[in-house]
Amino acid sequence: MSRPPGADGQWHRVHPLTPLISSWQALVVILIFVGQGFGQDALQGHDMPTGVPGDFRHGLGGWLAAGGAVLVGVLVLVGALAALSWRMTRFRVTEEALEIHHGVLVRSQRRARLDRLQAVDVVQPLIARLVGLARLTLEVAGGSDSKITLSYLTEAQANSLRNHLLARAAGLRYETDEAPEAPEHQVLQVPVSRLVGSLLLSSAAGIAVCIVIGLAVATVISRQFGPIAAILPAMLAIVGLLWHRFSGGFAFRLATSPDGLRLRHGLLEQRAQTVPPGRVQAIGLDQPLLWRSADWWSVRVNIAGYGGSRESENSTESVLLPVGTREEAIQVLALVAPDLGVSADENAYHVVQAGLTGTGPALGYQSSPSQARWLDPVVWRRNGFRVTRQVLLTRSGRLHRRLDVVPHARTQSCGLSQGWLQRRLGLVTFVLHSTPGPVSPYVRHLDATTGARLVVEQSQRARLARVTAGPERWMERPAPVPPPPA
Amino acid sequence: MVSAKVAGPFDPDGVSWIPVSPRLATARRVLLVAFTVPAALACLVLAFVVGQGALALAALVPLGLGGWGWWLIGRQVRAWGYAERDDDLLVRHGVLQRHLVVVPYGRMQYVDVQAGPLDRLVGIARLQLHTASAGTDAVIPGVAAGEAARLRDRLASRGEAQLAGL
Repeated sequence: MSRPPGADGQWHRVHPLTPLISSWQALVVILIFVGQGFGQDALQGHDMPTGVPGDFRHGLGGWLAAGGAVLVGVLVLVGALAALSWRMTRFRVTEEALEIHHGVLVRSQRRARLDRLQAVDVVQPLIARLVGLARLTLEVAGGSDSKITLSYLTEAQANSLRNHLLARAAGLRYETDEAPEAPEHQVLQVPVSRLVGSLLLSSAAGIAVCIVIGLAVATVISRQFGPIAAILPAMLAIVGLLWHRFSGGFAFRLATSPDGLRLRHGLLEQRAQTVPPGRVQAIGLDQPLLWRSADWWSVRVNIAGYGGSRESENSTESVLLPVGTREEAIQVLALVAPDLGVSADENAYHVVQAGLTGTGPALGYQSSPSQARWLDPVVWRRNGFRVTRQVLLTRSGRLHRRLDVVPHARTQSCGLSQGWLQRRLGLVTFVLHSTPGPVSPYVRHLDATTGARLVVEQSQRARLARVTAGPERWMERPAPVPPPPA
Repeated sequence: MVSAKVAGPFDPDGVSWIPVSPRLATARRVLLVAFTVPAALACLVLAFVVGQGALALAALVPLGLGGWGWWLIGRQVRAWGYAERDDDLLVRHGVLQRHLVVVPYGRMQYVDVQAGPLDRLVGIARLQLHTASAGTDAVIPGVAAGEAARLRDRLASRGEAQLAGL
């Protein structure tokens, strides 16, 4: 095949195995159910000899025939529905957009403009990987559930279609039949040992350990095993959460390419994400308390479209770095926001350091005034923000440290709020509104006049930065994309 | 109305605030009365049926709450205001917990205008600005109906002039 599927503007179908892959769980359940039924019937038939051989044989044969008929009927029905749904699913890529038509009873047609593309994922669940298929997911920013999913394509199809979509979205014209695959440069990877360590040191694991210890004590004292059964669902939920994070962050690799950031991760379900330049709306660097001894940080981002579809707090798709050293976290921040826009005589690295761990008004940070200690005795010196030409940095958290970075060009809106205690002390809380996602920057307990100036100036900065920001089609900009730091 | 201490952060320089329509207070007070007066009447009827005159005093509770609500609604509505500047829209509200939102026109994705039956009766509408962020809490209730339509169109055209993607 010379052209990627759909790229010629014709209608195409997804891979014929799609119904089987997407409904294999249901099929397995049906088979197990029916198989169990047969087994039990057969056993019961043998265990209860009626004394009349003819009756017994007749009964078993009848059951078998009836069960077989039901099974065949269900399978035929499911198969027919799946085949029909597969036949009704068509997609095509035109110069401007990706279109998909699907649905049997309720027909749905969806069209996504490629210059509004926010991210492209190629996802391979385990069963699809075994047969060499992959799912292509296209994010456009449209509030909740705005993604277009093409499932399933062959791996080669999915990759070449992704390259084509990215090239089109970048405004790149190519003469060859196949869209060129952008060269990748791997920046970092997360060793499994560190991922496991980070999960063992997470608060969820801490809670689990506390529960286990408490249970052990309770069981020894009361000599009853009731509490274990009672707490089992909670334990399962925690284990499930930890497993979700482990399998999502397994073999995490981050690479740069002219198409943007490439993330690859996943144990059972492998995911290759591409986030084009300028699509990251906000960046958050986090350090839970227990990670402090190892000085580990995690990096998460807001990307329009990712956050809208589901609860993004535990979702693995907006994670740029599940766990990394401080240097790695700063490196990732530098990839997403290459120019922090600090003044010439300053070192951006030191500014970020001060945001990660600093307190008080050093390096241009403005923190809460001293009267804030009445409201916030622990954190008040840590609360703070720093404005540069390009970004706003807000830091918070004394135990769980946090630094949020929002480019001015990505500021949606901002606001102030003030409770009556804050009013008596002359304080305000500043909030910056970004697209839905794990990062929601705020600065608590700022001096009232500082906060008032910040909110008005930030709105101006957002507008001005937007005027000078790069185009949506990132390859059309005159200057080349800055090379990744070695 | 606004004390000097509060004026600072919620009163940026050179901003002339447009208050929301006092008819918003009317609409809200109608709702308030619709709940409290029947409650008070129920107390009185109960007192009459049971024959305990002291029970009639219970009617003071909904009436007292109603009076407090009446006063609170007045303050809340007076505290609600908006200002159109050249490049952004400001909305402020709240008495005890004060809020201010600044929305650059270029970030506006769409504008909602809603009017319930009671709103239409008194001739007001509720206008809400949406950006790509779910956190943008820019709601102006109680804009006079004609003004709401004009404001909506004005905001939309300003947004169009400045809009640039996300």
